[in-house]
Amino acid sequence: MLRVRDLVSSYGKLDVLRGISLDAAEGRITCLLGPNGAGKTTTLFTIAGILSARSGSVLLNGEDLTRLPAPKVVSRGIALVPENRLVFPRMNVEENLRAGAYARRASAAEIAADIADLYRRFPRLEARRDQFAGTLSGGEQQMLAIARGLMARPRILLMDEPSVGLAPLIVDEIFRIIQELNAEGVTILLVEQNARMALTVAHKFYLIEGGEITFSGSPGELEEDEVIRRAYLGAQKE
Amino acid sequence: MIDFVQNTVDGIMFGSSYALLAIGFTIVFGVLRRINLAFGASIMLGAYAGTWLHVHYQVNVLVVALTTLVCTVLAGIYVERLCFRAIRRDAALASMVSSFVIWMQLEEAAVHLLPERTYAFPSFFVAGSFELGPFLFRGEQTTMLVLAALMVGALHLLLRHTRFGLALRAVSESPRAAAYMGIDTAWVMLCAFALVSLVGGVAGFAILATDEQITPFFGLWATFKGLIAMMLGGMGSLPGAVLGGLLLGVIEAHAQWYLGNEYKDLSAYLLLFAMLVLRPGGILGQRIHGREALAFRRV
Repeated sequence: MLRVRDLVSSYGKLDVLRGISLDAAEGRITCLLGPNGAGKTTTLFTIAGILSARSGSVLLNGEDLTRLPAPKVVSRGIALVPENRLVFPRMNVEENLRAGAYARRASAAEIAADIADLYRRFPRLEARRDQFAGTLSGGEQQMLAIARGLMARPRILLMDEPSVGLAPLIVDEIFRIIQELNAEGVTILLVEQNARMALTVAHKFYLIEGGEITFSGSPGELEEDEVIRRAYLGAQKE
Repeated sequence: MIDFVQNTVDGIMFGSSYALLAIGFTIVFGVLRRINLAFGASIMLGAYAGTWLHVHYQVNVLVVALTTLVCTVLAGIYVERLCFRAIRRDAALASMVSSFVIWMQLEEAAVHLLPERTYAFPSFFVAGSFELGPFLFRGEQTTMLVLAALMVGALHLLLRHTRFGLALRAVSESPRAAAYMGIDTAWVMLCAFALVSLVGGVAGFAILATDEQITPFFGLWATFKGLIAMMLGGMGSLPGAVLGGLLLGVIEAHAQWYLGNEYKDLSAYLLLFAMLVLRPGGILGQRIHGREALAFRRV
């Protein structure tokens, strides 16, 4: 499991994370919820080694990853599906998948087998395997970004706002995929603003505000919390 | 008609070396969205090192070739460290100016190495000249074309079918996403510089072995030819660089034949100017939009 303790991270002099602690249990979907600018993406970037932590620690199954650069972190089993997908637009679908396996140093046969598996999982990607990723629809690009992340064979998949910029029907589909992947055993740390969608899939919630964790609990506890209900679920009492 | 065909053939042969120079610019532009103005100068310095051995020790032409390649690669790595690695990614103007400064520095170094104006460069050809019907194929130029074709073929294989090629293309597409995949982008950029320096070194050697002489102006000349060929074909496009190089060679050959030597460069500049006005992205370049437009604004 992923264990984050007292993580402090900053851009220049400005502390964005002020001591974040969270656990993402194996085989579960853990969701980090929070408003814009609260530090959700910064948390993911610091875990993934893209930003270096000022203090605190990131442990994956007991191994300390805190000071490792991003390429090493990926090869230890943490893959990031970035916000806005960020597929490689003028590489075809298959090349995008290969790029996802870059850090693994796997044999060509292993990579081909994994790609074949993912095509079975995402038939729409197979239909477009020779197309430039930039020509795919938003939903397909999100699928590709997820599949590309899986190509790293991660122990945990970090997903940064997979619903952003997608039509509601597509969002439903992406969340169904997230749930299915989890049922197949993929551990996921999900960052979302869309609390309503996150509630349909996640097992554990953390709320981050102003660079600090202000709530943690089960989906039930999240729904019970009056303040969160008003601010993030926008729901009237049923 | 025979003249026209002969000129076209000559143009394609010499243009093949322009294509290699253009590839050097286009790959660096792809990876960094920057123009490396010191590219020609680093080739020139490498060739000067080879010439120095030739002048002082009368070494074999193959030793000159090897020295030229190795020293061009070293000079390219030096340029990358100083102009591009040391300068922040968002400071495009700073790295362009510093690549200009390094150009001057490399030229100084070359002049210190060999202070005279002109030196003889050993000629090199695999096969002699031969005639095919009414057409003459000069040995040096055929060699140049073969070398260039081999380089382009090797580059194509490298970029399309190797792990490094995949990383290089990923960094060209999106350095951020490439970093998320665990690609060491700084290392890829350094390797890209070493690679294009190797390509440039081959081009430089082939050109100089055809001219059989070298002057300190070679750096300026190579930068100009490479930049023009890249702009003609389309920035950031490998087929574009090849096409632009061949086109530039053909135009120059015709202009020289029909208009005279003094119009050779002028016609190339006119063509470039027309291209920049009518189709700023080059022949095979994408229409400039989005990220590219942003990159241009930053440059």
